[in-house]
Amino acid sequence: MTHAGVGGGTDITARMMMVQAPAEFGQEFTVVNRTAGSGAQALQYLASKPADGHTIILVTQTHLLTQLRNANLPQFGDLIPVARATADPQLVLVRRDSPFRTAADLIEAGKTRSLRFGGTHVGGVDHVTIFAFGRAAGLQRPTLVPFRGGGEIVINLVGGNIDTAVVNPGEAEAQLRAGELRPLMSLADTRIAAFGELPTAKELGINATGYTLRGFCVLKGTPEDRVARLEQGLIRAMSGPIYKTYLENTGQAPDSVAGREAWGAQLAGFNNDGREALTALGLLRG
Amino acid sequence: MEAFLGGLAILVDPYVMLMVLLGTVLGIFVGALPGISGSTTIALMLPMTIAMGPVPAICFLGAIYCAANFGGSITAIMVNAPGDPSASATALEGFKMAEKGQAGLALGMSAISSAIGGIVSVVVLIFAAPLLARAAYSFGPPEYFALALFGLSMCAAVGGDSALKNLIAAALGLLIATVGMDLTTGVERYAFGVMELSDGIGFVPVLIGLFAVGEMLDQATRRLGKPAIIALDAARVPGWAEMRKCWRSIWLGSGIGTFIGALPALGATTAALIGYNETRRWSKHKHEFGHGSIEGVAGPEAANNAAVGGSMVPTLALGIPGSATTAIILAGLIVQGVRPGPHLFNEQPTLLYAVFASMLAANIFYLVMGLTMAKFFARISLIPPAFLWPSVFALSLIGAYGPNQSMGDVWVMMVAGFVGLLFRRAGFSPAPLIMGLVLGGMVEETLKQSLIIFGDDLTGFLARPIAMTLIVVTLAGLLWPVLARLVRMRRAAA
Repeated sequence: MTHAGVGGGTDITARMMMVQAPAEFGQEFTVVNRTAGSGAQALQYLASKPADGHTIILVTQTHLLTQLRNANLPQFGDLIPVARATADPQLVLVRRDSPFRTAADLIEAGKTRSLRFGGTHVGGVDHVTIFAFGRAAGLQRPTLVPFRGGGEIVINLVGGNIDTAVVNPGEAEAQLRAGELRPLMSLADTRIAAFGELPTAKELGINATGYTLRGFCVLKGTPEDRVARLEQGLIRAMSGPIYKTYLENTGQAPDSVAGREAWGAQLAGFNNDGREALTALGLLRG
Repeated sequence: MEAFLGGLAILVDPYVMLMVLLGTVLGIFVGALPGISGSTTIALMLPMTIAMGPVPAICFLGAIYCAANFGGSITAIMVNAPGDPSASATALEGFKMAEKGQAGLALGMSAISSAIGGIVSVVVLIFAAPLLARAAYSFGPPEYFALALFGLSMCAAVGGDSALKNLIAAALGLLIATVGMDLTTGVERYAFGVMELSDGIGFVPVLIGLFAVGEMLDQATRRLGKPAIIALDAARVPGWAEMRKCWRSIWLGSGIGTFIGALPALGATTAALIGYNETRRWSKHKHEFGHGSIEGVAGPEAANNAAVGGSMVPTLALGIPGSATTAIILAGLIVQGVRPGPHLFNEQPTLLYAVFASMLAANIFYLVMGLTMAKFFARISLIPPAFLWPSVFALSLIGAYGPNQSMGDVWVMMVAGFVGLLFRRAGFSPAPLIMGLVLGGMVEETLKQSLIIFGDDLTGFLARPIAMTLIVVTLAGLLWPVLARLVRMRRAAA
């Protein structure tokens, strides 16, 4: 079950996983799209089903922020992470003729004035990432210019309406290839294979990461043997050639698929960042 | 040139042509059904195309996209229920024509102007895609703000005969557009804790409610007189006289549609609405608008199909989709291993020209089908209301529920239906409300984005030539009637 509309990136992730999952489990899979409320409706739907592992939710960071802002929903602690489907690292990009030649230029400028970052809506996933990045790098609090999605962010970055943005490589692939955008650093844990020359923020002494995460969770109370069975089966389903090709063709990291340990730790990390950022931005009561 | 001919060669490839034909038939069919839009169909077909190979797959998807946009106009004209959101402007005049017994004329004109709009935009795409794509980069929030303002400035004139009532309807549309999560503050507005409202009020359910359900309620409250003997004229399709009358609207719509479609943030629905406004503004028969103007069908239909070709510009040349549908086609391209972007024009020109050729073919296919079938579709207007409307209502329910599988949308549709009934009774037109809803959110959002970019300094607009030009044109359009009257009064006094 997913919160995304049919045909969106998250929906496609679920459908690609399902190509091989039925063979793995000997059982049919269907996608249920519950789109309302930035994941809120999807979480409620999950809570309305028995905790038997037959309802799997595709969780993104958006769900965590929605949970933080609405105490009536199942909370982060009510979910059991099962397996990660995609972990797409983000790059810090500037346009070709930007005065910021290096990451150091950008950081230097950001200490004297508030930089204009492009991102999704205020209080959204990008905002949390940018907030955490700005704090780790000691910048003045960045100004978020909110847009409707990656495509608009890229266009406005090339068009010179914003100083910089945090974007997945796949979203800006055409512009990166044409040299219209330059990456200054990546927000991955380790260097990205496709950008071997590009330093990570951590190498530059900035303790911040940025990923677009998608993965599967079930409701708390699901028996342990079923969770283990799901973890194994989902990972195997996503290790097949179709899912691998999908990751490759969409420019997502090939090491995306991971078990519940890595996936759970990453979710917990973002949950903390999100709580701090939303509190500091005045979007979280209490 | 070699690549161009290579691309055209697919026109004689029977397998590819069969795929285009299948896509066209499927597209018309789903386009005509409210609730199953072209984008949903393409999303559902996507996994099936993986096995096809890039050229037939993309030709198939492209044909669905082209034909669904046309198909939407069939239900818009016949039962006032736009099968595809982009056909909402078509319903305004088209349904009135059908009521007058001119369904065949409206359907035929829709097929002709759709095809011309579609073909014009593909030709532009062939010659100017990389160039037009550059234009997308010069359109930031300030420019979109000015463009939306330009579109909204016509709302007093569009729809009913009373400017005051039109403004009231537009204000209601603007109000509805404010519901939901605000992009620039991250705060929910007018959602009252209702989850279904937190993403805003959907455009599709409002549309279906306002047009189709409103019409049904209105019909239901009227006593059925003797069934009118519908003139045999219902099945007549357009001839040269109509073509001459609509020529200008079709070119205008094609131009507007191609340009607006090429802008990544705007799609066929906006193109059709602005196409409708401008058709009216430049028409020699303004008095016919609101009462079933054939030009009012030709303009928006040309515009929404031209927007299809236009929206392929940023998709192919920048790798940035211009609409929900092209986003899914883009996904289809990527799955096939085709990487859109400027380099596509140098590296895989044959594939590109094959896509263009198949879109041309799809446009011609649905033109032929549309014209031959217009006579049959036109007979829908001969079905007695007691049988017709309940089935339309069933379709409307599916249509509102379908896209998001949400009951909330169904309730929105029902409320909008009653609003539609009140509108009809009180002499309001739904057109300005739709404009307010579509453009209102954009006006607000882009103004706030602009102000963030300018550091809360309104004079920032002065440094944006494109935005300033559009604002000046808007002001001129608004002030012209006042100035003209002043001049006339002075002349009379002298």
